[in-house]
Amino acid sequence: MVSRREFIAGALAAGAVPTATWAGLGDVRFVTAAQDLGGAYRLFGMNAAGVPVFSVPLPARGHAAAAHPNAAEAVGFARRPGNFAFVVDCTSGAVVHRLHSPEGRHFFGHGAFSIDGNTLFTTENDYEAGEGVIGVWDRSAGYKRIGEFSSGGVGPHQICRLPGSEALVIANGGIETHPDYGRAKLNIPMMEPNLAYLSPEGEALEIMELPWAMHMNSIRHISVRGDGLVAFGMQWQGDRAQAPVLFGVHKMGEEPRLLSPSAEDHAALNAYVGSVTFSADGREVAISSPRGSVVQVIDVDSMRVARSVGMPDVCGIGANADGFVLTSGDGHVAGYVGDTLTPVGEHDIRWDNHMIGV
Amino acid sequence: MKRLFVALVLGLLPIRAGAETTEHATLIATVTDHHILPRYAALAETGAALAEASKAHCEAGDPALRTAWGKAFDAWIGVSHLRFGPSETDNRAFSLAFWPDSRGKTPKALRGLLLKGDEAILTPEGFAIQSIAAQGYYAMEYLLYGPEFATLGTSEFRCGLAQAMAGNIASVTAAIHEDWVKGYAETLKTAGAEGNLVYQSEAEGVQELFKALGTGLQITADMRILRPLGSFERPRPDRAEARLSGRSVRHVILSVDALEELSGMLSEGSPSLVMQFGEGFDYVRAASIALDDPVFASVTDSGRRLNIETIKGVLDDLREIAAVELGSYLGVVAGFNALDGD
Repeated sequence: MVSRREFIAGALAAGAVPTATWAGLGDVRFVTAAQDLGGAYRLFGMNAAGVPVFSVPLPARGHAAAAHPNAAEAVGFARRPGNFAFVVDCTSGAVVHRLHSPEGRHFFGHGAFSIDGNTLFTTENDYEAGEGVIGVWDRSAGYKRIGEFSSGGVGPHQICRLPGSEALVIANGGIETHPDYGRAKLNIPMMEPNLAYLSPEGEALEIMELPWAMHMNSIRHISVRGDGLVAFGMQWQGDRAQAPVLFGVHKMGEEPRLLSPSAEDHAALNAYVGSVTFSADGREVAISSPRGSVVQVIDVDSMRVARSVGMPDVCGIGANADGFVLTSGDGHVAGYVGDTLTPVGEHDIRWDNHMIGV
Repeated sequence: MKRLFVALVLGLLPIRAGAETTEHATLIATVTDHHILPRYAALAETGAALAEASKAHCEAGDPALRTAWGKAFDAWIGVSHLRFGPSETDNRAFSLAFWPDSRGKTPKALRGLLLKGDEAILTPEGFAIQSIAAQGYYAMEYLLYGPEFATLGTSEFRCGLAQAMAGNIASVTAAIHEDWVKGYAETLKTAGAEGNLVYQSEAEGVQELFKALGTGLQITADMRILRPLGSFERPRPDRAEARLSGRSVRHVILSVDALEELSGMLSEGSPSLVMQFGEGFDYVRAASIALDDPVFASVTDSGRRLNIETIKGVLDDLREIAAVELGSYLGVVAGFNALDGD
């Protein structure tokens, strides 16, 4: 039997859908990387409910993707410390461009587009210097690299553009790595993560740092709300029994506000937040912990955990009009609406960490 | 025949039918009582002995001081994979072992202390608040073996600094051991009990121990061996661990001894796993000794570096066996996303 996914992928490959915008792809709302059981990697598009609409092969393990604001084009990043990224035409499945990080740099797995979609910003490691870098790529010139600037910290991970603005916000995780030592962390006792707000030219607009007592709390994943509020999830690098709070929100010019979890909710995260996603109305944020196999929904006003649900190896979170869509490393997709977790699908697929909204 | 042979050699371990009969709680208790606690006890004892030795023997070249430091460092390598719980409180483990020091912070900090010569830092309180890059076994190695430091500052200050470092190692290792004995061993052993927020299930406790094996294999493969190995075009012998004192290969062997002990406990009841770990670790040990090259200097020798690459390869195989086969045997295989998050 031909699954809907295969059918559509086949139809797309045959050119049955000529348009090249997201709208033409049939309700694609999320893109996410995955590994099939044969070990091959693919990039999937999903509708608002979390049903796969298309999938295209990726030449290597992808991490997050950056979705172009209009064109049905996604940039799939090789997982760190990857040296390449693939621009995939999601209508044909063709890899239309390959981005190679310059000598002495590697990608960290996330990227963001400018408002017009003509400039791509990528988080990168200048590993000899041990400094974070934002690479700048010109789409109209075939994704030519046109520059770079400091990320404002070490180990930049997720990057987002503030809505309605060209300003970028970067989660500088603070952890120094060097590809010579695989993924080994080299500076834990000295690490200083931050949330850096930069102009598209790299000028530092604001750097948010938490108190030194939290310096081993790597700020890695972020989500932005329409009014510029940034939700950030952290990964504690010390002993998990001593992990401080792992989630907060911050807006430029204001003080950060941290989650006030119960001891049980805090322990359930197992010192690790893997994805952060605002709800569609911006009143809530969902955070996931694959290490705790839990998703918690946080009420932004009170900074309390409103509800939570267990799901093995859950990480990816998408937001739709009803609530959230969750994906797990063991192939499950589920809707999380109110207090109810509803299975949407079970695939012979390992969904990778993030669902990126289109 | 080979399997039988290995089973006989390792006959000290009771052979069981399978993982389902090895209760997680029993396993945790075994590892805690026979692997973790004795090793942390040795760490505290050798730390105290180092502080004691430094009182009468504080000159960098004094054999008594060097011997005591070497024994203490040996004990550290034997627990360097057990990075959870008391060792992570207040950055204790990092203050004992600031390594790898990719930016050369340790010699820089040490140079600063010696040139400044501020007596106030020689008290226990004063020294404890110095940069952790200047504390611990690796910093002390520079002081005892680094030619650059042999003449920096006054000999009285160098002597005082050696004593301060040794005293600090003694108090930090004592604190780790005390926390293990007075509380954390129980926390670990009661994984899954009502109210245990650190380990909410027995499986989480087993997973902590399982992760320690993976951590140790990674540290030894990627840091102890791959760092000096570098690439064929650019070997990096200067990055070998504890090179000044000639201990680089010794550390590989000591860590392998500790990891083999842990792997043996974790894979008890699976003759095939016991055999695979035993053969792999035996190879790494024998091949490391056969290098006859205590500091991996031969990474620059295009013919001989292959021997080091092979040791690294076997360690990677052991990592794979641990991650996949042992993980599945113990029933604690981490999920795709949980395994090595990003």
